[in-house]
Amino acid sequence: MTKIQDSVLKKQDEDWKKDQRDHKRVPAITNGIVNPAKPSVGNVKRALETAILTPPDSEEVRKQYGQTQGLWSQSSGKLEYALYKTFLSILFVIYACVRYIQYEYNRVKIRILNLAYSPSNTPQLIRQDVMKLQKLPKRLAAILEKKREGDVGGGTSGLLNDGSELVAWSISAGIKHLTLYDYDGHLKRNVDEFRSSVFHKLCKYYDPTNVPKFAVRIPQWNKVYFNSANADTSEAKKVAIEISLLSNRDGRETIIDLTKTMAELCAHDEMKLSDITMKLIDSELTQLVGHEPDLLLYFGPSLDLQGFPPWHIRLTEFYWERDNDQVTYSVFIRGLKKYASCKMNVGK
Amino acid sequence: MMENNSFPGSSQVLNFCKNIFSHALRASDNVPQHIGLIMDGNRRWAKRKHVEIKEGHNAGFHSMSRALELCYEAGVSTATVFAFSIENFKRSAAEVDSLMNLARSGIKQVVQNGEMAEKFGIKIRVIGDRAMLPDDVLREVETAERITKDNTRAVLNICFPYTGRDELLYGIKATVDKTQRGELQFSDINEDEIDKHLYTGGSPPVDLLIRTSGVTRLSDFLIWQVSRRDVVIEFLDCLWPDFGSRQMAWILLKFAFHKSYSASEPDLEEEMDAISSTLEQKKQH
Repeated sequence: MTKIQDSVLKKQDEDWKKDQRDHKRVPAITNGIVNPAKPSVGNVKRALETAILTPPDSEEVRKQYGQTQGLWSQSSGKLEYALYKTFLSILFVIYACVRYIQYEYNRVKIRILNLAYSPSNTPQLIRQDVMKLQKLPKRLAAILEKKREGDVGGGTSGLLNDGSELVAWSISAGIKHLTLYDYDGHLKRNVDEFRSSVFHKLCKYYDPTNVPKFAVRIPQWNKVYFNSANADTSEAKKVAIEISLLSNRDGRETIIDLTKTMAELCAHDEMKLSDITMKLIDSELTQLVGHEPDLLLYFGPSLDLQGFPPWHIRLTEFYWERDNDQVTYSVFIRGLKKYASCKMNVGK
Repeated sequence: MMENNSFPGSSQVLNFCKNIFSHALRASDNVPQHIGLIMDGNRRWAKRKHVEIKEGHNAGFHSMSRALELCYEAGVSTATVFAFSIENFKRSAAEVDSLMNLARSGIKQVVQNGEMAEKFGIKIRVIGDRAMLPDDVLREVETAERITKDNTRAVLNICFPYTGRDELLYGIKATVDKTQRGELQFSDINEDEIDKHLYTGGSPPVDLLIRTSGVTRLSDFLIWQVSRRDVVIEFLDCLWPDFGSRQMAWILLKFAFHKSYSASEPDLEEEMDAISSTLEQKKQH
């Protein structure tokens, strides 16, 4: 590949973006994909179609530009570009095929794991699983996603159910702090429903007369709720678990708010620039958001932190199951197992 | 790629494949703009091979240039590598020393006789709390930056010594300082403003992070940048010295594939929303 060709290619590349046909072709390739995380036969088919469609296209490019402009040197750039496009689609086809096999393999694995680990609403079984572990995370966090309305386990009710299920598992495992994060803050905004949902879930796991007590904390509004919606009274503030509900708002925006506040304090001479230290910010953010979790569970197909508070993921261990899209006990317990087996050595 | 595998002997064929591959990727228009790399596992690799730890770090350096070469060819404009954490100063003095030596010679190599800097026009920036570096290393770093400062094609950020929290603290302080000097209103402090004042300010947003050796933590690397939605995070099980252009190619291909085919998703949902809302409106009428 010579340098000239290279530079021409680059230039053509820019021209090409403006090309109408390209605009037409892109929707043809990408139309109608419902969930890109899941490869499907359709995906492979589409990629194949692209590959088959592209070669005649490259001929067309050559003809058209050869005729209208008559300059071979210019059209060769286009041709080359088309060739690379063709090669790319071949690569995509290979990728799609490999990925499809991988996906199916992972799905089967997940299905088997789900059969192997099934809590069937009994804390004793979870307790047994956890007893084998050498250490437990003190603070557990999970990123939850609202699935589309109409899907199984979709919508807000699905999200509430997933959240309360996690609460029940955590209590059974003996974890004292749980952070539930969802980008848009659906859990936060439906906190009353969430509390009653947790209560009902716990009734299934435990004896209804002796349901473990819990507290729900919403750092953004600085509020703490105890137990279920209709049992808000007095005595029992000794809880088995503290649940924090976070959203995107508690991440970067909180840090920005903190910066604003500090800037204002500095302007009013109530604070000096040198007062801003790691320790100060850490303690402020711990108060505003909470402590750093030890383990973060993600229940999507491939890890995406979705704006989880950045200050709080410094040394957090992540766990997710490839190609999984459901909140299941097997992911939960395997995450705990992974955490128990990992060695933490800061800097060393 | 697979092709590379079938002709392990011939470097020309390999190069040719790399070239075609990177050009093909470029044609997809979906190449990550800024890659973060945590090069983990050099010491474990050395232990496994029964060689000195120094050798492990050396092998890691070569592995880095291989991976970066492919990235830059494919059109990645910025790479940020985690060379040394502030926490690493806790290691034994001998190892810290050898790491510093390696860094010094590594930087020299990249600048002087490494073809990489010339071929790709890489601008080297060393980011982090540089006050912690020994004087001789700092001098080397400054020379490297001076020599490469006019290169514009790609940027290599070397985090040395760095932690994400330290960077964020630096960014916050710089922003506050700017308001102090009256160059910025309080109300104008936003994500972009902090972004600008981070060590990585001026680089495109990070859209891919790779960490090797099976550890699934960020270990205080690029915490602000990576926690964004839609940043792809790849944790690999292989040790860093074993990470080659083949793995890099696969990750880039995966990235391009997913970006190309997920572009239409939000539109589709919006369409669905639009349809359902019009239906509701009709019902109301």
